[in-house]
Amino acid sequence: MNNILKNAKIHFLVLIIVIISEIIGTKTLNVGIGVIALFPMLYAMVLGGIISLPSIKFLNTKEMNKAAHFLGICFMLFVIKVATAIGPSLPKIFDVGIPLLIQEAGHVLGTIIIGLPVALLIGMKREAIGATYSIDREPNLAIIAEKYGADSPEGRGALGVYICGTVFGAIYVAFLASIIGGWGIFHPISLAMAAGVGSNSMMAAATGALSVIYPDLKDDLIVYAGAANLMAGAIGIYVCIFFSLPFTARMYTWLEPLLGRKKAAVKKEETGL
Amino acid sequence: MKDKIIVFSVVGLITLVGNWVGYGVSPIKAFPGMVVIALIAIIGYLLSKIIPIKLPAVFWVALLAILISSPIFPGHAFFTKLTDEVNILALATPILAYAGLSFGKDIGVFKKLSWRIVVVSLVVFTGTFLFAAILSEFSLRLFGKI
Repeated sequence: MNNILKNAKIHFLVLIIVIISEIIGTKTLNVGIGVIALFPMLYAMVLGGIISLPSIKFLNTKEMNKAAHFLGICFMLFVIKVATAIGPSLPKIFDVGIPLLIQEAGHVLGTIIIGLPVALLIGMKREAIGATYSIDREPNLAIIAEKYGADSPEGRGALGVYICGTVFGAIYVAFLASIIGGWGIFHPISLAMAAGVGSNSMMAAATGALSVIYPDLKDDLIVYAGAANLMAGAIGIYVCIFFSLPFTARMYTWLEPLLGRKKAAVKKEETGL
Repeated sequence: MKDKIIVFSVVGLITLVGNWVGYGVSPIKAFPGMVVIALIAIIGYLLSKIIPIKLPAVFWVALLAILISSPIFPGHAFFTKLTDEVNILALATPILAYAGLSFGKDIGVFKKLSWRIVVVSLVVFTGTFLFAAILSEFSLRLFGKI
């Protein structure tokens, strides 16, 4: 009971944030290159983020760790809700089984194909391998730590992208989904599969943005995004171990002499970690 | 486990409020669906402890939820009718609120990151989304699905 009271502050804050966010509701913002979808879960994240800023001194580190702990537990509920949307649509998903598998290659290769050259062009060294071999969520961190060690350059690169993902991944992916979705060149189902990216919060945010653009297809969007996400979760680890990581390392030795900066000066500051 | 049940209950209640404020579904109507979701979480979690194959608990939880909501399961329509009352976005809002509240603990490390890693992160997120969209579009058309 004592524990519940101690945690009540966090839960109460979440309740208030949820009410405020849901009252504001969905908005769209025209920014020239496209329309940005704004919706409750984004406000919730930003409001929560502001409250937790160390300079505001409203939450201490222990409470923030608690919030992260609760986050891990309630992801379970989210996954179940997604799964109960997938269940009734299983025939629909089997129907697009092969495209679903093929697009998974896009999720895997997309990080490496543009990530690695850009990382090398701006002067990263071996950090680039860890940073670009995957989207660097928790399981990927474990893989790189096992192979290179957590404090290796490769490990620091992966950790850097992981931190960025935690801090602004969901919000960035939501913006990305609304801008690219607004172009109108991709079918909503393609966008939904693409939204099945990375962590649950990234997927939720990307799918949320797409549902603002295609409100009538809301249910379908979550089905395809959820299926892509689950598939990535089921096979992703093996793909990372047996393909992505060795492939990125090979590409690195090949591309680094071509694109890498010769200066030896950029070393420790590559990741800042 | 007790810890998890408490969190499921609290988050469930918050979701019901959000589901009401944002999507106009009365908490009384959505309550059974929320209970079903929480029960699946608990059962799936227990299953993951019993089943000797080592996979993350979330895998078993997802599998169980897909199974009981799929057409092959007797009574699937009953379960999905209940869970349909809980809007998925209403469930995501509190989750991202918790994510937001844990943000401050990472901000210190984040500030120390070099600009390079931030740029690369943006490119990595963009790349995975864009390439998945391109390959989806390509293969869905190839197989005549869209």
